[in-house]
Amino acid sequence: MLKLQNVSKQFDRKVVLDDINIEIKAGEIVSLLGPSGSGKTTLLNIILGLTQLDHGKIIFNDMDMSHVPMKNRGFNIVFQDYALFPHLSAYENIVYGLKNKKGLVSEKELQEYIEFLELKPHLTKKIGELSGGQKQRVALARTLVMKPKILLLDEPLSALDGVIKESIKQRIQSIAREFKLTTIIVTHDPEEALTLSDKILIINQGNISQFGTPQEIINQPQNDFVEEFILKQLQIKRQNIYNLFGEKHA
Amino acid sequence: MPNVKTEMRVIYLSILVVFAVFLLFPLGTLFVRSFETNQGFGISNYLSILSNKDLIEAFGNSIKISTMTAVITTILAFTLAYAVNCTRIYRPIKTVIKTGIVIPMLLPTITYGFAIMYSFGNQGLLTKIFGRNLFEIYGFNGLLIGYVIYTVPAAFLLLNNSFKYIDKKFIVVSKLMGDGSLRSFMNTIVRPLLGTLGGAFVLSFILSFTDFGIPASVGGTYYVVATQLYQVMLGSIPDFNHGAVIAILMLLPAVFGVLLLNYLEKLNFHYDKFSNIELIQHKFRDICLGVISSVIIVAMLSIFAVMFIAPFLNSFPYDLTFTLKHVMNIFQSSDLTDVYKNSLLVATLTAVLGTLFAYCSAILNARTPLRWKSSIDIISMMTNTVPGMVLGLSYLLLFNGSSLKGTFTIIVLCNIVHFFTTPYLMAKNSLSKMNPSWETTGELLGDSWIRTIYRVILPSSASTVIEMISYYFINSMVTVSGIIFLVTAQTSLVASEIKELQHFAKFNEIFVLSLLIFITNLFIKLLCDYLQKKQLTK
Repeated sequence: MLKLQNVSKQFDRKVVLDDINIEIKAGEIVSLLGPSGSGKTTLLNIILGLTQLDHGKIIFNDMDMSHVPMKNRGFNIVFQDYALFPHLSAYENIVYGLKNKKGLVSEKELQEYIEFLELKPHLTKKIGELSGGQKQRVALARTLVMKPKILLLDEPLSALDGVIKESIKQRIQSIAREFKLTTIIVTHDPEEALTLSDKILIINQGNISQFGTPQEIINQPQNDFVEEFILKQLQIKRQNIYNLFGEKHA
Repeated sequence: MPNVKTEMRVIYLSILVVFAVFLLFPLGTLFVRSFETNQGFGISNYLSILSNKDLIEAFGNSIKISTMTAVITTILAFTLAYAVNCTRIYRPIKTVIKTGIVIPMLLPTITYGFAIMYSFGNQGLLTKIFGRNLFEIYGFNGLLIGYVIYTVPAAFLLLNNSFKYIDKKFIVVSKLMGDGSLRSFMNTIVRPLLGTLGGAFVLSFILSFTDFGIPASVGGTYYVVATQLYQVMLGSIPDFNHGAVIAILMLLPAVFGVLLLNYLEKLNFHYDKFSNIELIQHKFRDICLGVISSVIIVAMLSIFAVMFIAPFLNSFPYDLTFTLKHVMNIFQSSDLTDVYKNSLLVATLTAVLGTLFAYCSAILNARTPLRWKSSIDIISMMTNTVPGMVLGLSYLLLFNGSSLKGTFTIIVLCNIVHFFTTPYLMAKNSLSKMNPSWETTGELLGDSWIRTIYRVILPSSASTVIEMISYYFINSMVTVSGIIFLVTAQTSLVASEIKELQHFAKFNEIFVLSLLIFITNLFIKLLCDYLQKKQLTK
């Protein structure tokens, strides 16, 4: 279980996060949803350990992680642009971290990860030769073989197009179930957040607007912001799709 | 970007110490010495320099001839760059222009002077071909030709690079809007390039103003600042304080020039996006520019032709039978082969250590959140400003009594600092384009910072590193101005040895040594280009 207690952060006197309190259960998928500049990426970086917090605590399984350096927290991230190393092949990227931690994953387990992510046919390819979805899966594999205690994903779908988006969504859900992995996702897209995650943390201007399940957010929006910016978008989308297919499919 | 690590601070501090000891202190010493007199400190050195008629004349000459050079060079370089980028002339001609233009860069400027003498002198190769003396070469004319040959390659590279970032679609748009040729040319070519054209002008001016090799060989009695500085420092009665004043006065136009360059940078256009587009057909334009640019290249290279011919003839221009005796003489003279080995040693050390140094500086600036890291940018502007002669002289003043005097170490350090700017900017440019999350990713995958640099950043910038090595190597092979005050009989280099051989009129040796530099540089350049290509296609 991951607990954030009174987490606050300022950059040059500008308050970016103001007194954030949440609890995330083991194996849950949680989306951090908000417009640009809301503070969601800062919160992700604070959990990762890249950004230091000003006040508050991060507690993971009853251990205070607030001042544990990034490297020793055991969390891991897949960046928005994947940050794959272009001079290495897909396979070399996947085993990059295993060179530092020998014996972390057996050969058999490694093959299982590769098969699970359907990367077998692409292992010898250079990063430049991979499609967006393949890159995403290589980056996931590289992170998963390090057996992170929490998986962080920064806008995992934003660089992908249509059909691939849906399949990666399912993939992320199955990873969380398969490995019982707590997964925290940053996104600015309400549809993505509500269809992908168990719980959604809506952030606006550094404050929690609402934290709840997709049903709670749809049925009991707690304030104008959730209603105006989150639900309205979904309603317009729904309307557009109805118009396309005709009311009879509603 | 990764968090600040102790290793970063250690490297940063070491870099600052090197620059303090080998750039700031020497320049400080130079400044102080320029005010030092027998009666304590005062401006009497300046007054005596400014009332010296010869020196004032030399300054006037330098400014006049450098301005002339800058005008001619900018026009020639623009013509060549235009021909390469905006015409549909036969592709191999473009390749010849782009390759031929860099050839002078592989030679010391002092060689240019001798090549000019042997081409245009009374018995010169081109004089013979044309059947008469074209003009008097010692003095103004010779200097002008030398400076132009010296500066055209640098100006061309600058303009050629900017041309690539001009959106050629605007040429088509301008035509479709009904612009006439002149208006279209001004709006779509000249205006976007205005900053770079100014830059090419200033660069050519500074390069000619501060060069020593060309006036040392072909200057004759036409005195310029560089030769005056040399006279005062290493002439019959050396005067270090007066030398310091001249060096400061030589530094001033360079400082002004660099400030101007930074200002001109703002004039440059930045197109968000540019795409390649077919150029409009225009036979007349293509034929004209094809002919003009070929003539420019042939004229430039023909001056060097003599260098490849004279040393293989018995006694040019009187006995034109083929012989290898001059070449053999060089290889049998242990003095000259030692000098060549010295040059190789210095160039190799400069290339390896300089690249390491510039690369570390660039990493700290481009990929770490260190405080005050932008101080490296300021330093790189300073190294860009200080002429080689001024830097070398300031080393002479500061380290004269120390054990560094007369060592290869001081020459290598001088070269590293002197040529720092370009390799540093190459590295910074390439490093800042890379994904900023690599270090964090590496750390999460168990790497230390240094290890990620070694495993990821370095292999990904291999091509840039090769380019940096090549730049440092070639420049330390050809520099005369930077090292002329630092070499001794034991640490003599090819480029400075050529200056010595001049006194004994041993021109065959001069050409053979120049050829050695040329072949070595050509080899390194081709090797680096090949390795770079291999890296890029990998």
